[in-house]
Amino acid sequence: MSTPTITPYRSAQRPGRDDFPHLLRAEWTKFRSVRGWWIAMIAAALLTALAVAAIASAANGKQNPGAHPTVAIGPGGEAVTDSFYFARQSLDGNGSITARITSLADGELPGQGTGSSTHTAQPWAKAGIMIKASTTAGSAYAAVMATPGHGVRMQYDFTHDIAGLAGVPSAASPRWLRLTRSGDTVTGYDSADGRHWTEIGTASLAGLASTAQAGLFAASPQYVLGAQGFASNNNQPFFDTRITANFDHVRLAGARPGGAWTVGHIGFGTGPAQPANVNGRPPVSVHCGPNGGHCKGVATPQGSRFSEAGGRFTLSGSGGDVAPYVADLDPLGTVLKGSAVGLLAVIALGALFVTAEYRRGLIRTTFAASPRRGRVLAAKAIVIGSVTFVAGLAGTAIAMRIAVRKLHSGGWVSSVYPVWSLTSGHGLQIVVGTAGLLAVAAILALSAGAVLRRSTGAITVVVALLIVPVILGVTLPQTAAVWVLRLTPAAAFGLQEGTPRYSQVMHACLPYNGCFPLAPWTGFAVACVWAVAALGLAAYVLRRRDA
Amino acid sequence: MSAVHAEWTKLRTVPSPGLLLLTMIVVTVGFGLLEDVGQKCPTSCSYDSPKLSLTGILVGQALVAVLAALMVTSEYGSGMIRITLTAVPRRLTALAAKAVVLTGMVLAAGAFAAAWSLIAGRYILPGNGFTGAHGSEVLSLSAGSTLRAAGGSVLYLALIGLLSLGLATAVRDSGASIALLIGLIYIVPLIVQLGVLDPRWERHLERWSPMNAGMAIQATRDLNTLPIGPWPGLGVLALWAAGALLLGGLLLRLRDA
Repeated sequence: MSTPTITPYRSAQRPGRDDFPHLLRAEWTKFRSVRGWWIAMIAAALLTALAVAAIASAANGKQNPGAHPTVAIGPGGEAVTDSFYFARQSLDGNGSITARITSLADGELPGQGTGSSTHTAQPWAKAGIMIKASTTAGSAYAAVMATPGHGVRMQYDFTHDIAGLAGVPSAASPRWLRLTRSGDTVTGYDSADGRHWTEIGTASLAGLASTAQAGLFAASPQYVLGAQGFASNNNQPFFDTRITANFDHVRLAGARPGGAWTVGHIGFGTGPAQPANVNGRPPVSVHCGPNGGHCKGVATPQGSRFSEAGGRFTLSGSGGDVAPYVADLDPLGTVLKGSAVGLLAVIALGALFVTAEYRRGLIRTTFAASPRRGRVLAAKAIVIGSVTFVAGLAGTAIAMRIAVRKLHSGGWVSSVYPVWSLTSGHGLQIVVGTAGLLAVAAILALSAGAVLRRSTGAITVVVALLIVPVILGVTLPQTAAVWVLRLTPAAAFGLQEGTPRYSQVMHACLPYNGCFPLAPWTGFAVACVWAVAALGLAAYVLRRRDA
Repeated sequence: MSAVHAEWTKLRTVPSPGLLLLTMIVVTVGFGLLEDVGQKCPTSCSYDSPKLSLTGILVGQALVAVLAALMVTSEYGSGMIRITLTAVPRRLTALAAKAVVLTGMVLAAGAFAAAWSLIAGRYILPGNGFTGAHGSEVLSLSAGSTLRAAGGSVLYLALIGLLSLGLATAVRDSGASIALLIGLIYIVPLIVQLGVLDPRWERHLERWSPMNAGMAIQATRDLNTLPIGPWPGLGVLALWAAGALLLGGLLLRLRDA
């Protein structure tokens, strides 16, 4: 009698389908088949649009001097700062201007008394040569210049900026600059020795009249000592700075014979009279130069000097700038903060998507059906993330349209505060970015819910990470505020900034004014890193713990 | 009285309320320290030193709100509320007992946090230029205005707690009530602060939103430039708290548990 071999039981049924697509489908069905989820998600999208619309209605700029600053309008219709010291001659038709800079010195205008010598440098002060359509502020120009902090640059029509040779000119290592005009085209060159020239860039100045102004210029924007604090009116003291450049080998080809240099300020008085702070707040202590009355961008031109002796020119420019105008306020970004209402709802939904299962015990069924818990979590994250993204996209698109329209009709001038259409690059950034932020928030909340198993804790943690930092940003001292907005997922709110920023304009990025220290998509990446880390932690905890 | 004792026992015997209050103290003093250390007064500044030191209340209030909401919603979550209401059938008495215990605990913890915040400010701020020379006063611990700012901040925390308790009683779900409360407290100041609103609207919001109005109690200087005075401001917050408690009490009375 032989003992039969025991073969282990094998079901004749095909193994259960536990592959990932089916897991996704299961989670999608859980979301889809509960009417409450749908209602809540649609409500979140509508709430976003509603809150934004409400704030946009309250953000009427007619009473707000920051909404319509006096600015010059550049060739592209954008607001610009165009005030500088200019030693010029008329240039008829084609021609060129060449000059050598042998020294460049910048610093705080004497008598300012900041009590500290550390913040005297203005890296974007500029001195160099320029060909400009006329002496009207905002007219087309092309210029090659030396700067204390960013080497030689060619800039034209305010928004364009091309780098040339690096370094600060000195007697030992001077910089040769040249601009040649041919029709509407102006080409900029630089050289270290006056023999070997390198082309920096070409500017096409549409409709440049046959007679243009060519000469030497200098401008040194005021230094803004940014400061913010919850316990005081925010100070933004401005200090006048001055740049002094020595030129020689100045040659103007094509100028009227026997032409003399006309020296004067361009654009002062028409530049932006920027209120340091607006909106009926108590008067802010603003330091605007020793004789008062002048503010940012319209600095006292009293520090400007010009002298010529034996072909050597010395030009000092104080105040002014030739650059796009960058507003301190960000109405669109602020109004879009109304999306925090939708965000709160999304956070609650994300947390409940898993805590509700714990509450009802459904989680045990879920894990029995699909024992690989990490995959369950991933499926949940994908479902809640995508649903939120789509809802957020719809909600933000509506919100954005309403906000832009209301702000525009409410007196916020479009030259300073552009009207972004939904399909423009920046408009897309705002809409897609906000939807992405909502999706990341939902995933963060889901992870927190999986770790804490309670909706209260999960919601509190995510709100503390995502919304509280934005509030801290406007209240903490500047250094702390900037770090909070760099390190927390709230950095992603930078995607909602509606006012364009330019790298060639030194901008005091005060979180108080709604400015986020990180570049928009970098900030979003920070939030994504948080979400991935939270998901990882949640997956780890889920595996280690009993359900 | 026995209802109060019962509520006290409920809070005393689980770890989370104590932990929340402890976190509240740490966060309040910690953010105050951050502000004390970070804020410099090199040449001229118009900082309000007591307010500066008490910045942490801004963050600590969220934890008080969570604690208050949990006192009610956790009972709804676990079904404990039915036992509570069986033991104390007069529902308003049950809610009042919760309010009394909450207020007592928050006042005690808040006083501790506010006192340490002020002491930290007193010893750190002069080193940053807050010496009285540059337009900022030295923080005096015994000045009437400082005491008003500190005492008022403690009352502020208690009122935020009561507001949260009332709302949570009305809403009954912890997630929803906390989201609602956070929105109510924080979103209005955020929008107001960024300075793009119509001045009329801004003024209305600063006077009538719970946090903006209530925080006026911390001001010790330039009082005539405030949108709302310190005590009236705290009064507005008290109105909010009373309204929320009334709503919560009414719904508790009318609804099945």
